[in-house]
Amino acid sequence: MLVLKLLQSLFKALHSEGTPGQLAAGLALGSILGLTPLWNLHNAVVFALIIVLNVSFAGAMLGWALFVPVGFLLDPAFDWIGRTLLLETPALRPLWTALYNAPVVPLTSFNNTIVLGSLVVAAALWVPLFLASRWGVVRYRATVAERVRRSALYRSVVASKLYNLYRLFRPEA
Amino acid sequence: MRVAVFRWKAVVPLLVLGGVVLGLWLVFADGIARRTAESVGTTLIGAEVEIERLHLDFPHGRVEIHGLTVASPFAALQNLLQAEALVADLEPLPLLEKKLVIDRLTATGLRFGTPRLTDGRTGGQADGVMGQVTRWGEQLQVPGLALPTGKISAARLDPAQLTTPRAAAALGARADSARQAWDSQLKGLHVDATADSARRMAERLRGAKATDVTLLGDARRTLGQLKQAQDRVTALERSATSGIAALQSGAAGLTDAKQRDYATARGLLKLPGLDAPDIGAALFGSAAVERFQRALYWVELGRRYMPPGLLPRATPGPTRARRAGATVRFPQANGEPAFLLKTAELSVQLGAAGTAPRTYAASVSGVTSDPALYGRPAIASAAAPGFRLGALLDHVRPTPRDTATASLAGVALPPLSLPSLPIRLEPGAGTLALSLAVQGDEVRARWTMQSDRVRWTRDSSGAATSSPTGDLVWRVVSGIPTLAVSASLTGSLARPQLAVSSNLDRALAERLRAVAGAELAAAERRVRAQVDSLVDGQVAPVLAKVTALGGDVTRRLGGERTQLDDARKALEQRLRELTRLPGVRLP
Repeated sequence: MLVLKLLQSLFKALHSEGTPGQLAAGLALGSILGLTPLWNLHNAVVFALIIVLNVSFAGAMLGWALFVPVGFLLDPAFDWIGRTLLLETPALRPLWTALYNAPVVPLTSFNNTIVLGSLVVAAALWVPLFLASRWGVVRYRATVAERVRRSALYRSVVASKLYNLYRLFRPEA
Repeated sequence: MRVAVFRWKAVVPLLVLGGVVLGLWLVFADGIARRTAESVGTTLIGAEVEIERLHLDFPHGRVEIHGLTVASPFAALQNLLQAEALVADLEPLPLLEKKLVIDRLTATGLRFGTPRLTDGRTGGQADGVMGQVTRWGEQLQVPGLALPTGKISAARLDPAQLTTPRAAAALGARADSARQAWDSQLKGLHVDATADSARRMAERLRGAKATDVTLLGDARRTLGQLKQAQDRVTALERSATSGIAALQSGAAGLTDAKQRDYATARGLLKLPGLDAPDIGAALFGSAAVERFQRALYWVELGRRYMPPGLLPRATPGPTRARRAGATVRFPQANGEPAFLLKTAELSVQLGAAGTAPRTYAASVSGVTSDPALYGRPAIASAAAPGFRLGALLDHVRPTPRDTATASLAGVALPPLSLPSLPIRLEPGAGTLALSLAVQGDEVRARWTMQSDRVRWTRDSSGAATSSPTGDLVWRVVSGIPTLAVSASLTGSLARPQLAVSSNLDRALAERLRAVAGAELAAAERRVRAQVDSLVDGQVAPVLAKVTALGGDVTRRLGGERTQLDDARKALEQRLRELTRLPGVRLP
């Protein structure tokens, strides 16, 4: 089921009416959901952006699905980065102290090493990921997209009920 | 083609979704908060925290908890406390900073040490403190109860360790040397020749005339030689007497050496330690260490979660599918602490053994995660007939200072099993008291337990089987109706020193000494006989030699003196006969 959903997301995103930029932006935003621990306030903001901004929702779901395992794998690195920033960089201590004692900000759990480390990495990766995925979508659509669209697998996937749900949030031209 | 930035038609569904999420959160907030409180409490305490019902009263900024159960982190089937209801009045604004400030907490129906059906102890964050305290307790060496089993063993007696044979050999050599010296000196006196000369002179004077001046002159010279010989004999006698006295003193020294050898041999006996403090530590040391460990557990927990200073503090992050990481707090001067319980009023149910529980009041104040921000120590106090509690955790300054004192009278004291013995002590109702002061790394603590009606039972089902030691201890302790145990802990936390004593110590030690005394006397007789067998064979000939030498020299010197005296007497007699003539005077 998970694989099917992933395939659906992949097909729908790549063959949607959205531009490569919309698809890449959605994927990059979705990667934040995947890379960082999900149940945090900043992810509510990211999710709201995915909904409100005219980016590919399918691309965001694809980015989320693709980057969840990456997030698990990179947790030790996130922990190290977060620990370095929070505890071992005295220059940043006033910033963290101010944020920790400011309203609402502590609710984001920014002071957790995994959250901060993963958020910093996700933010740093956002632009490269956006550019790379936009280039990839352009290349895909120019080369193999038509052949895939004619395949039986594609038709069976897009005919599923999930596709109808997707259509609600497809990017507007 | 120009692409719109915003998807306006999704705004309404987003708002609806947000509303739904908020509504769901409000519906399930009580459950979420309950599970969070249980999880946080369990992590903090190191034992299961269970809450029957939790209600968030948002309009009044209040949290109500019903049916709180906190398992004991030490005992498997015991609760630390149970509370019927807790109501906390929160300050709302700090919640926006993810900080919890409780203005006032009221707790009713608090009971301590109630039984539970399952083991509530958990690992986790507090496990570090528990492990630390357990390791700390292990370094307090509680001696085993080493009682005499009827046999006192002795190490092998090495003849080279004995001093008497060496002293005897030296004395024998001195006696031989003295004999040679005196023999030589006696020969050098030439007493026989002098006496013979005097006797011959006396014979010559027999027929002599008083006018024979030459002969009289010879007689006077002979008499002078006799006197000189007598003086030499006298000097030799004096020297010999002194030498014999020295040899006899050496012979007496052999007796002293033998006593020292007896002591050496007795030192080889392996006797059990029968000092009372050892017995007290053996019998009640483990129980005392356990009480001190529990007290120290709370002190360490307090120091971990209420650290002094304003430096960033990392604690393990929340449990989740992803790695927990570490959550770092950044206290700010003049800011709110992350957690603060300003005041708590507790209604505690306590009951003496065999009586219905009664309700008493207790209070807690100033419990905070950032004592340096709050600026006041955490204080707990309670007082009731037979019960008194006071605690102060002062972590405001860099060196934390924790003091606590508690006493409980008429409480059912927990039964104790004497280590490695099939004997169980049921103290019944008695008085427990604990005082503790930990300043920085220095600890000073005292635990006492008193009971006037103790009951002793023999545990025939335990692993410890009946033994002569167990029988002996049983005979002694079973007749003692009272119990007074006192344990003290001093020194640094890194090198603590434990001292335990009880009224059983003296009784048990006296009995053990009596039993050990008979065996000790027999063992001493054995080792003395062993020393005698090694020493007497060498000492007796030397003593005989010294005795014989003294007699021999005295006899020989007496003979020489008699010979000289007789000769002198005879010579003087002859001279007096010659000098009876008128006008002649002996010189």
